[in-house]
Amino acid sequence: MARLVILGAGVSGHTAASFAAKWLGKGHEVVVVTPNAKWNWIPSNIWVGVGEMSKEEVTFDLAPVYEKAGAIYKQAKAVSINPEGSESIEKAFVSIEYTAEGKEGTTEEVEYDYLINATGPKLNFGATPGLGEGTTLGEHTVSVCTADHAVHAAHKLDECIEKMKAGQRQKILVGTGHGMCTCQGAAFEYIFNIEHKLKESGVRDMADITWISNESFLGDFGMGGLHFKMGGYISSSKVFAESLYAERGLDWVVGAHVNKVEAGKVTYESLDGTVDTKEFDFAMLIPPFAGVGLKAYAKDGSDMTDKVFAPNGMMKVDADYTKTSYAEWEPKDWPKTLQSPLYKNIFAVGIAFAPPHPISKPMKTPNGTMITPTPPRTGMPSAMMGKAVAQSIVDMINGASEPTHTACMAEMGAACVASAGKGFFTGTAAAMTVFPIVPNFEKYPGTGRDINGTTGEIGLAAHWVKHLLHHLFMWKAKLKPGWTLIPE
Amino acid sequence: MIKDIITYPTPTGIEYAPDVRFFDEKLFIFIDDLKETAEANKLEGLSAPQVGSYYNLVLVKKDDEFLELINPRVIRKSGEVISKETTTYFPNISADILRYETINIVYEDRYGDQHSLKAEGDFSILLQRKIDYLYGANLLTKLKGKDKEEFEKKLNASNLGCPTTPRKFSRDYFIKASNFFLVLMLLLLVSSFFIDDELLLVEMWDYQLYTSFTVLALNICYAIYSYYENKRFSVCTNCYNMSIFGVTMMGLFRLTVVMLVSYFSF
Repeated sequence: MARLVILGAGVSGHTAASFAAKWLGKGHEVVVVTPNAKWNWIPSNIWVGVGEMSKEEVTFDLAPVYEKAGAIYKQAKAVSINPEGSESIEKAFVSIEYTAEGKEGTTEEVEYDYLINATGPKLNFGATPGLGEGTTLGEHTVSVCTADHAVHAAHKLDECIEKMKAGQRQKILVGTGHGMCTCQGAAFEYIFNIEHKLKESGVRDMADITWISNESFLGDFGMGGLHFKMGGYISSSKVFAESLYAERGLDWVVGAHVNKVEAGKVTYESLDGTVDTKEFDFAMLIPPFAGVGLKAYAKDGSDMTDKVFAPNGMMKVDADYTKTSYAEWEPKDWPKTLQSPLYKNIFAVGIAFAPPHPISKPMKTPNGTMITPTPPRTGMPSAMMGKAVAQSIVDMINGASEPTHTACMAEMGAACVASAGKGFFTGTAAAMTVFPIVPNFEKYPGTGRDINGTTGEIGLAAHWVKHLLHHLFMWKAKLKPGWTLIPE
Repeated sequence: MIKDIITYPTPTGIEYAPDVRFFDEKLFIFIDDLKETAEANKLEGLSAPQVGSYYNLVLVKKDDEFLELINPRVIRKSGEVISKETTTYFPNISADILRYETINIVYEDRYGDQHSLKAEGDFSILLQRKIDYLYGANLLTKLKGKDKEEFEKKLNASNLGCPTTPRKFSRDYFIKASNFFLVLMLLLLVSSFFIDDELLLVEMWDYQLYTSFTVLALNICYAIYSYYENKRFSVCTNCYNMSIFGVTMMGLFRLTVVMLVSYFSF
């Protein structure tokens, strides 16, 4: 009997766990270690953040779902990995620390035959002074990264709306809180949902809404932008985004590294080296992501974290980390099997794996501050990685010597439906597909992407799709009948 | 070497210019060619996609010198102005475009070193227009709604070169009408599944039959009229006739399917 341990139950971890449990059946063990009691469909947090959905609608308890799936669920956080075991324990194991009520602080060593690291990001609020302390959100801004944060954001937004109704003009700032952030898409959705909400509340004219981000152009989205067929013409995400911002009356600043947050004010450094400030009454700034801080120890107890993990705390996998200059980057640098090069039974998926380099052009200010969006690897690509790795491991347990499935971001496309306002008749969303995620200039000379696989459209229908996807993915994650038929 | 500047209706073929990554001899030669081209055509600015190149670079004249901007990015902007603009891609047509009054740009020179500049007034507008080309945008794609329709009308009137460029055809109304009737027929067909009354069914079949004649007629009219409409284009190679044939066949195929099912269900 083999035991597969999965650290984390986000989009990628949960996908991997549910498929592995189904395919492995009763003969083997699947153990899920996650500090959270509830699963959260993170994309819908945007709607929680504007009070259009409740926390309960986007979350559910994990325990009954894993019981149904036949997986063992441990509500605990992983602290360290001993891939070679230790002096007292023969087999490889992970040390975990329980977070479940009544069991807090209890530690345990969980032995494994295979390990999937799907811990997701550490929300590194501490990276920007004033944005927060460590992983805790600060007092000046809000976030929509977790369901609780989103609930808090919705309250703050309501207060803001009350002030506007009372005749006070409000400044709203949405974007990224550091030069090395990813997930611009979430902030993009949030700013348009706020705009929509203010319009619905009849106070749109009382707000100045500004976008601030580390992208070097509007519509970069951490993917170096994309171009798509839209209304008969081929257009780029920049043109699309610029016209959308103009249409909705939103101001924007890009190429900005927010380096300080104070009450009602952010200070930012621009790509041209200037330092400026922006005032706000309400601000949602996405924090940069870091690895969760897992440690790795050798058999003799010596620290080998730097061998297993990249400096940012994300796990090294079968990617080429040696290339440093933009000109050298190639699609083949991107990992395929997501297997650790050192330990063949360890895999990392979703945000937990260390990407070889950004997708967007790396840019620096004259002072040397890096302002570059890091590659997005959430949502659909994340789930695809989880499923591919689960398939590989199942095959390896059944006798294969090497991983049998791949999920390379340079070979797969992604579909994204970005909400720009919620409402059955008044909602809008932008639906985009991009193929491949990492541009391949050899295969697709010119733009690096397949124009036939890259399309975009904005409208009410896309909003319905987005809403439908919410229910579909919640259904799938709850492993209700037919869940395997729902795509990633 | 002076390059040909692409003009409407030929598409530039550049949907999006990815960043320049190699600052080599090939790039230098291209920049010099582009400069020669701009000078020969007495242009204030020229964007690489305008000569059909994927380089992310623009040339703009500043103080009688051409400034080379590689991988330019507008990072901040302020103010809005409506400017009346023309561009070499659409000869002799102007459009009112919403532009930013001032912009801050970062860009690289031919050696890959980063610089920044602040542009105001006409220089800012020229830069914005040239940078737009790098992202597949031109005057037409910047316009929306009514303004866009008007611009398209002007284009269609001024240019009857090739029918494959995106434009609105009167022939499309035939297809729209045909589709409308097809939907009606489909509704009638679906409702027939729930009706048992023989007399009513017979009556419905009549309606179905007459509507089908209408659809048939519309499709034939479409084919004939489209053929006539294509005749107006000066450099038409008739490649579009295949598309007309295809659209007509699709319409007739749909009609046949609906009628076949109707025949057995009524």
